[in-house]
Amino acid sequence: CSPFQKLQKTGTDDQKYQAAVTYFKKGEFYRAGLLFEELIPILKGSTESEMAQFYRAHCEYQQQNYQLSSFHFKQFYETFARSDYAHEAMYFYALSLYKDSPNYNLDQSNTLTAMAALQDFINAHPQSPFRQECTQYIAVLRDKLELKAYDKAKQYYKTSAANIANYRSSVVSITNFLREYPDSKYNEELAYLRVDAQYHLAKNSFADKWKERHQEVVNYYLALVDKFPKSPDIKKAERMYEDSRKELETIANQEKEKLNQQQKPAKVTATTASN
Amino acid sequence: GGRITTGQSPVASPTSPLDLNYADPKEYEIAGLTVTGNKYLDPNSLLSLTGLKVGDKVRIPGESINGAIKRLMGQGLLEDVEILATKVEGNQITLNVSIKEQPRLYKVTFVGIKKSEQDALKDKVKLNLGRLISNTLIKNTQLSVKKYFIEKGYLNTKVKILSVPTDSTRNQATMRVSIDKGSKVKINNIEIRGRQLVEESKIRMKMKGTKQMRFGRLFTPSKFVPKKFEEDKQKIVEFYNKEGYRDAAVTFDSVYAHDDKTVNIVLNIDEGQKYYIRNITWEGNYLYTDELLTQVLGLKKGDVYSKEDIEKRKNGIPGSDLSSAYMDKGYLYFNAEDVIKSVEGDSLDLEFRIFEGKQATINRIILNGNTKTSDHVVLREIRTLPGQKFSKTDIIRTQRELSTLGYFDPEKIGINPVPQPDGTVDIEYTVEEKPSDQIELSGGWGGYVGFVGTLGLVFNNFSARNITNMKAWRPLPAGDGQKLALRFQANGRQFQTYSLTFTEPWLGGRKPNSFSVSLSRTIYRISDPSSYYSNPSSYGKNFLGSYGNTMISLGLGRRLHFPDDYFQLSNSLTYQRYELNNYDIFGIGLRNGTSNSITFNTTLARNSIDNPQFPRSGSSISLLATFTPPYSAFTNKTTDANVDIKDRYKWVEYHKWMFDASWFATVTGKLVLNARAHMGFLGRYNSRTDFSPFERFVLGGSGLAGTGQFALAQDIIGLRGYNDRDVYTGINGISPTPQEKSRGGLAFSKYVMELRYPVSLNPSATIFVLTFLEAGNNWGNFKNYNPFDLKRSAGVGARIFMPAFGLIGIDYGYGFDRMPGSQTRVGPGGQFHFTIGQQIR
Repeated sequence: CSPFQKLQKTGTDDQKYQAAVTYFKKGEFYRAGLLFEELIPILKGSTESEMAQFYRAHCEYQQQNYQLSSFHFKQFYETFARSDYAHEAMYFYALSLYKDSPNYNLDQSNTLTAMAALQDFINAHPQSPFRQECTQYIAVLRDKLELKAYDKAKQYYKTSAANIANYRSSVVSITNFLREYPDSKYNEELAYLRVDAQYHLAKNSFADKWKERHQEVVNYYLALVDKFPKSPDIKKAERMYEDSRKELETIANQEKEKLNQQQKPAKVTATTASN
Repeated sequence: GGRITTGQSPVASPTSPLDLNYADPKEYEIAGLTVTGNKYLDPNSLLSLTGLKVGDKVRIPGESINGAIKRLMGQGLLEDVEILATKVEGNQITLNVSIKEQPRLYKVTFVGIKKSEQDALKDKVKLNLGRLISNTLIKNTQLSVKKYFIEKGYLNTKVKILSVPTDSTRNQATMRVSIDKGSKVKINNIEIRGRQLVEESKIRMKMKGTKQMRFGRLFTPSKFVPKKFEEDKQKIVEFYNKEGYRDAAVTFDSVYAHDDKTVNIVLNIDEGQKYYIRNITWEGNYLYTDELLTQVLGLKKGDVYSKEDIEKRKNGIPGSDLSSAYMDKGYLYFNAEDVIKSVEGDSLDLEFRIFEGKQATINRIILNGNTKTSDHVVLREIRTLPGQKFSKTDIIRTQRELSTLGYFDPEKIGINPVPQPDGTVDIEYTVEEKPSDQIELSGGWGGYVGFVGTLGLVFNNFSARNITNMKAWRPLPAGDGQKLALRFQANGRQFQTYSLTFTEPWLGGRKPNSFSVSLSRTIYRISDPSSYYSNPSSYGKNFLGSYGNTMISLGLGRRLHFPDDYFQLSNSLTYQRYELNNYDIFGIGLRNGTSNSITFNTTLARNSIDNPQFPRSGSSISLLATFTPPYSAFTNKTTDANVDIKDRYKWVEYHKWMFDASWFATVTGKLVLNARAHMGFLGRYNSRTDFSPFERFVLGGSGLAGTGQFALAQDIIGLRGYNDRDVYTGINGISPTPQEKSRGGLAFSKYVMELRYPVSLNPSATIFVLTFLEAGNNWGNFKNYNPFDLKRSAGVGARIFMPAFGLIGIDYGYGFDRMPGSQTRVGPGGQFHFTIGQQIR
């Protein structure tokens, strides 16, 4: 039976509290956390209650249980709004959420919560020394969301070999991305991929869609060349643009001929009538 | 509850004529702050909880006082809080926080009921320790305990609750709940009056929670539960409505005591009359003609009018109901309302009022809840694509694909189309991850044998690219949808097998082309049985001979779009090396040497099964062909009987065909029928060579390639009701020698009919029971092959699927046919079989 187990079994509340604080200061967060966990319901309404709850939240944070630490820090600053530690608790609440934000290719609900918490902290404590840091964290999280959106937009392009309909999906999702992140560093690449996807879509379409779809290739190319004239893919895009323009000209010529053919017999009847 | 009282308090009124006006709150500075009424609690910490401080400026009435009361009450320590103004001078105010403490719950004890009931109750009443014991809490607990037992059929339950102080220093008390539940109230008799037009047994069947007492009623014991009884009356009416009696009603019911422990029930039903459909008209349809819609609906003049049936035809059969006709073409806002236009005698005129709405194009696909699986793994399975027209059928197909992945709880896949103001629609998918890895661990130390056991790990959602990323090991790199299976099985030094399989379903991430690698190594040694007696210490260490097999296989598979997109074609190339060392495993005189086999395998499969754990509909068919190169065409070493047997089998030569079909259909309610057929043939290219002794079929028993019957270059197929490997028909029906039998057959057939009933569809433990009829046979040569000469059996069984352990099953099978030459059993008989893992055949 170790001294710790002995304390857990037979120690008085006061002994436990003192021991917990000592463990915490020594950096033994697991043991400290266990003791605080046990003490908190008993200490409710006593003087030590406030600090015990603050320490407990820190124990979870130090053990990288960010979900728990965020919960406890939040509970702390809501309960002890006037405490000297409330400011720190709110910061650590946001920080816990920040650390708990998952990889970009997973569900980002926690990232959104973290961004909101960081922003709330900045708003509530504009003079805080942590302010700079929080602004930086928000930027990191925003980049993560941007990367996710980029990855999703590109996913359809990537899998278009498996299903031609994905070309259209990638055009739609790239257009959405360009609208949502107008300053993104990915825009140059995506603007080119949009031309490429639209071009392949047009090439793989039935004749009745050619005109409309090649016209879109032209539009997307012009958007690319206006914004990113130095894109490394500009030559490839230009070739597609030329081809689409040629297709459009052919279609226009065919339409003209058709129109002429429709008008010709009318002329013939007119001449016979005049004869 | 807490109150704020200012001015009106008898203490405060003489000194402070405080003007309390909600329309015009005034600002005061707190000059003093006191606490009264506290017995156990620390006044300072109470004050710090209020958030108020001396010197603060507060508005009265206002947010800060209300907030203080809220925070204090929120602690759950106090029965009541009042904040009183004790003194007001100018803008200086002195406040007193008057509290009323209550004992807190230290422990709950239940008296008069069993331990298991106590545990169930504790979950139900949710008495958190440390809570305040107020009168409300006692009353509520009493009510919920009583309700709990009434729902179990104990109508006469009496509950008493006492609060006993336990710790006076901390003001804690124990709540003692004494329960006298009396005896269960059963139903002696149910009398149904007024019934003429439908069968009484059907009505009784609909009353699922209210059953009359009867001997042998095991699964739904008779008990009277008022809530269930109300539900059952509703069910009777629903049943009548479904049959066309749309006026039916339960007009009267009575429950009265029959004796101390039973009640009698009388029900009176007014059946009304049965209605038929006369005319169907359509309104508001521009896209489709009336005739076409009537055809889609599938109702005609003279059909029985059933609201439930119409609802189903409108909106219940994906792909072929009325709403699919519109919703598959993007008409997301489609709505059809059925109205009874006129009633004449027993005839109804129906009118469908259709709102077609605008066509919606999908704009965004939103995915939530994938906390483990990467976006791209899920997105590539989603059939609703941005830029396409909204389609209900695509949505339902997506639901199937997502549940087939096996990473998400199939019952909790959420799909929510969110219409956007610009006429497009976003589709939001919400998934809930469930554990998808499996572990199989069994083992022991078998004395002289050494380690005996199995260690099997299957990671169904592995991520190979994250192997080097230490952060991703939680506990293993996961989320890329790859499969990694590792297995090690040993029976001491005598038998060992190791295997590893890795599968990437989307090689390169661009196309659904799967790639797999597997490696395995098996070694089986035979020991001299006599040495067990002569030299027990070395038994299991010294061996007479051994058989070894090493295998490497590479496979590529792809999805097909033709004939439909449920088809899949996969090819693989396998190299196997068999080593025989003083062990004539086939009994053909091949005692020493090495045999090699290179095979090309191709599988054409179609799988449309709806749910991998408990399928209810769909089918799976597969045709597998395996070929070795025809060595005998190039060399006569394999055919010439004068060549040493070692050299004749240096290169194994055969072709093999396997056919498997499985079909699922719901019979009624939850009951599912599964019909299966399996066949296999092993042939040779050249009549001058022998049939390959490798890769033959053995049939019978559980079909488990487990301990005691190791998979030694054979296909092991189960046939319940017979001994393992026992089903074999020899040449011309002559009793086969044990050697012939263990070598296996060249052709087998097996047919199964199974009825399955789910006991629990909870994804953490899917349980179903089954009853089966099956028949099969295994032939040693093609001459005697007769697909109708089958060994039959019947039986019952159960399966449990737990995500961590996979599928585990037990069956009792009774074999009806005699096995020629069987050593163990001559006549029919029954036996138990255990199975682990999903059996394909």
